[in-house]
Order: sequence, then structure tokens, then C-alpha cells
Amino acid sequence: MNIEQLPIINLLLFLLMALVIPLLKRKPFKITLILGFVVLGLVLISSGYLLWYVNNVEVIHYTFGGHEARFGIEFIVDPFSALFTTIIAGLAAIIYIYSSGDATEGIEKTEYGRYYVLLFILLMSMFGILYTNDLFNTYVFIEILSITTCAIISIKKKKDTYTSAFRYVMMNELGSLSYLFGVALIYMATGFTNITLISESIQNAYASYPVNIIVALGFMIIGLGIKAAIFPFHIWLPDAHSAAPSTSSAILSAIVIKVYILVLVKVLFRVFKLDILNEMNISTILLVLAGVAMIMGSVFAIAQKDVKRMLGYSSVAQMGYILLGIGLLSFEGLRAAFFHILSHGLMKTALFLSVGEIIYYKKTRKVNDFDGMGFIMPVAMGVFSIAALGMIGIPLTSGFISKLNLGVAVLDQNQIIFLVILIVSSLLNVIYYLPIIILAFLKNEKYRYRLKSIEPTPRTMIAPLVLLGVLIVVVGLFPNQIMIFIEAAANSLLP
Amino acid sequence: MWLDRIIENINYIGAIALFVIGLRIVVTHSNLIKRIMGINIMGTGVFLFFVAIGNVTGGVPPIVNPEVEDQLFINPIPSVLILTGIVVVVSITVYSLSLVVKIYENYKTIDQKELSKLISEENNEH
Repeated sequence: MNIEQLPIINLLLFLLMALVIPLLKRKPFKITLILGFVVLGLVLISSGYLLWYVNNVEVIHYTFGGHEARFGIEFIVDPFSALFTTIIAGLAAIIYIYSSGDATEGIEKTEYGRYYVLLFILLMSMFGILYTNDLFNTYVFIEILSITTCAIISIKKKKDTYTSAFRYVMMNELGSLSYLFGVALIYMATGFTNITLISESIQNAYASYPVNIIVALGFMIIGLGIKAAIFPFHIWLPDAHSAAPSTSSAILSAIVIKVYILVLVKVLFRVFKLDILNEMNISTILLVLAGVAMIMGSVFAIAQKDVKRMLGYSSVAQMGYILLGIGLLSFEGLRAAFFHILSHGLMKTALFLSVGEIIYYKKTRKVNDFDGMGFIMPVAMGVFSIAALGMIGIPLTSGFISKLNLGVAVLDQNQIIFLVILIVSSLLNVIYYLPIIILAFLKNEKYRYRLKSIEPTPRTMIAPLVLLGVLIVVVGLFPNQIMIFIEAAANSLLP
Repeated sequence: MWLDRIIENINYIGAIALFVIGLRIVVTHSNLIKRIMGINIMGTGVFLFFVAIGNVTGGVPPIVNPEVEDQLFINPIPSVLILTGIVVVVSITVYSLSLVVKIYENYKTIDQKELSKLISEENNEH
């Protein structure tokens, strides 16, 4: 086997797994779960190996069927795509272990198989989006991703999931078609859909057809902005993420919206390049969007009574942080944004999974009912607290490192105002996360503290939570090991 | 003069018009099925735009005829790309129509305004 074929094998493994699950319908469900875990483990190992390989040996180019890049589809595995596929595979494996612990809240037993089919196709499309070096191929993978995410939201047979899934599908389709329109305009001006070939000829195209390129950039930013829930286009997110089962909320909030922003990064830095972006002053537009998102997302989150909606709005604010890093269009900014994608992925997964466990056992999702919860579900609430402190940006957590990096990046570009917004947004985070933690551990009127009041939870649900809590702290304590890979990824995007 | 330009670019103008009409339907109509139609019209606009890019004046479909020399072909790549795009939009349409069926079974309405009213009433009861 050739090393070049490894990314294709990753995709094929996911696709085969999705095909095999319906065939195993009559066998005990445990076999499917173990097989799925083996597949995820293999993909995690192979993407980890690819990450090492591209950082130390060479970047992998693979063209399908041996057609040259301008006719065929090209996959590129470079430090950027290898890093994020590894992160996605790791987070997905953690969420997978958790979901196998019977915690797929609200899904009927007979639907389990379908849930996992959707999960594996979803992972396949995200890997495809990151590996591919072709704008139209990206569109196809984006559509696979949006159909599977919508289906995973509406898998619960409950009334409100249908309406939120419908709203999600409409908004998503507006986004995809805008993106496709942008691709059409770029194809019109350059004659390619391959990203490398476009980037070689985009300067000439900009000189002769400036309108095409400007309109294309606008359509693509708006289209991907809708999908990544950047502030004015975020309206679908809280409904969709709170209606979905907890494990899929974790996947949607921690991974899926990040993938769209990574496509935006690819489009900005690989297709259009810094010269055109600077000439059009895109930086200012992105920074303003980011600043508004950081403040407004947190303000909306304070007003929520449903804990999952609160986490959804918190995601809107966090996407603002990531967009702020990208909008600075500098190496430091990209580094901070990429680190925040990792640390927010870890923290949001931890938050949604711990909340999911509480919802599963206590059947409540009101913020007020969390009083004294620390006494009956200490592990879940403990991990929730670590992740919430990380969101606020307390030292020793990964959230602190990403905010520190963001602050450095902002100061480097002399944008003092955004440092102020960053701090205000962190303080707003304090307003809605800290009361939950304090009341959960200090107010025990409702529940008397007794050892036997601790809920017995299956080990498959506890283990991933503890792992996430440990990871948040470890990444916060030793960020330098992962920073090497993140800097390599940022370097591969900038000339 | 401007009439010539319009005739020259009629495909592009039509595509943009379809895109904007579709967008307006999606954003303003409250009937869910009309909104799905809006998405389809928008999609058609984008597809027409793609195919129009590949058009070459006086070109023939790219099927090689050994008897004729120096044939001018249209660019087939956009048409091929759009074949994929059509399949994608059809599947999105099917999925969202099935959602509308489920919504109608549960709420007995497919009007967005009535739906939001019903949902907010339900939330107040709890």
C-alpha cells in the first residue's frame, strides 16, 4: 500500500462502515458498536501518522484516476488538513465512546443503527472537505455534510425537531447556493476549479475582471458565514443545536461549524491570497463581524433559560473569537484561531456531553434546576466546571492559552479596540457560566449531601468525560507540543 | 447599443433574475412548500449561470465527428459539474419535502406564521 492512498482509505473506511451497519441489523448491536470503534481507531491512527508524515517528510498530492489536476479531482494532505482531520477523528472517537453508553437521549432503540450510519457519512464528508483541493468537490462534500447534519437533528421523533431541522435545511441551502455561485464566478474569470491553479491565475483575473472576483468573494463569505453561524446569520443555530440529541449537539457545535470556517480559511488564504484581500480591505469587514458576534452571542446566552440553547449561543460568540483571529490576516491571528478551534472543540464537547448526561438522568434542561447538581452528579458537574472555566479563560485551561494568543495577535496589529471587546466578552461569559457552577456546588437545599445520592452512571459515559477534562487541562499546561503542528498549519496557508 | 449588450448577456441576466426571485421567495413567503420551490428556483439560476459560462458562440456539443475537421466545441466541464449539482438539489428537495410531511402530520399546518404561533403557545403551557 502506498502512503498516498492513506487519505482515500480513511474516507473509504467511513463509507464502508456506513454501508455495513444496515447489514448487521439482525446481529446484536454490540458488534456494530465495536466495529465502529475499530474503524474510528484505525482512522485516528492513520490521520495521526499522516500528520507526522506531512510535517517531517513531504506534502502528499493524490489525483484520482491519474488525471492531471486541471481535469480531475486532487486531494492534498498538508500540515493544515492533516492537523484538523486528526483533531476531528480524536473528538469524534471521544463522542463515539460516550454515545455507545446508551446515552443517545431521545432516540428509539430501532433508530440507533440509522444514527450511526449518519454519523459515519458525516465524518466522511468532513474529511473530504479538508482533504480536497477542488472548489466544486468541496461543494459536493458540503452538501453531503448539510443533509446528514439535518437528518441527525431530525432523528428524534419529536415535533419541534422537525421545524428546527426545516429551518436549518433552508438556511444551509441558501449558504450552499451562495457558495456555488461564488465558485461559478471564479470559474468564469479563471477557468479552473482546482485551488492551486486558481491561485496562480487569480491576480491576472483580478486585473481584468475585478467585479467577478469581488462579487465571488462576497458570495463565498456570506454563504460560508451562514453555515458557520457567524453572527447576523446565526439564527438557525440555537434551535438546531438544542433540538438535536446531546451527542449530536456536541458533534455539530464542536466540529461541524468549525469545518465550514476552515473552508472559509482555505478560500481566503489559498484561493484569493493576501494581496487581493488587503486591497479589498476584507480584514475590516471580518473584524467587525467578529466583534459583533463576540458581544451579541454572549448577551443572548445570558438571557437563555434552557441550558442547551445557552451553549448554542455561546458557540456563536466563540465563532466570533475564531473569526477575529482569521480576520487579522496575520500569522499570529491564524495561530490563535487554529488553537481556539482545538480548545473550543474540547470545551464545547465536554460541556454538551456533561449536560447530556445530566439531561439523561435528571430529565431537566432548565438552568435553574442545576442547583445542587454537584452533589448528585459530581463527575459530570466537575467536567462541566472545568470546561466552563476554560470558556471564561481561567489560567491552567486551554481556553486561557487561546485567549492569550488572541490578545497577542490583536496587539500585534494595533487593534486595541478588539482587545477591549475580547475582555468584555470574557466578562459576559463569567455572567452566565459562573452562577451555574457556584449554585451547583454550594447550594444544596434541594439535595442533602449523601454518598448514595450519587447517580450510578455507566463507565462508557464517565470515561470520555474525564478524558476531556484532563485534555483541557493538559492542553492548557503544555500548549507548546501542539503549537508546533498549529504553526506548521498556519505557515502552509501563508506565503 | 445597450440592447445589444442585453441580448449578448441574456443568459447571465436570466440566471441572476432567477437567483433573486428564488431568494425573495425563500425569505418572504411563509408557506413551507413555496420556500422549497424558492430554493429550487435559486438553484436553477446558479445552474443556468454555470452552463452559460461554458457556452461558446457557434459551438457544437463536444461529440467528435470524424468527417468534419476543425470543429468548435462548447466547454463541457460546466455542464458535467451541474449534473452533480442537480442531483444534490433534488436530494435536498426530497429531504425537505419529507420534513414538511412530518410537520403537517404533527401541526396540521404548513404555514410558517401559524407554526410559530403554535410553537410559542406550546412553550407557554410548559
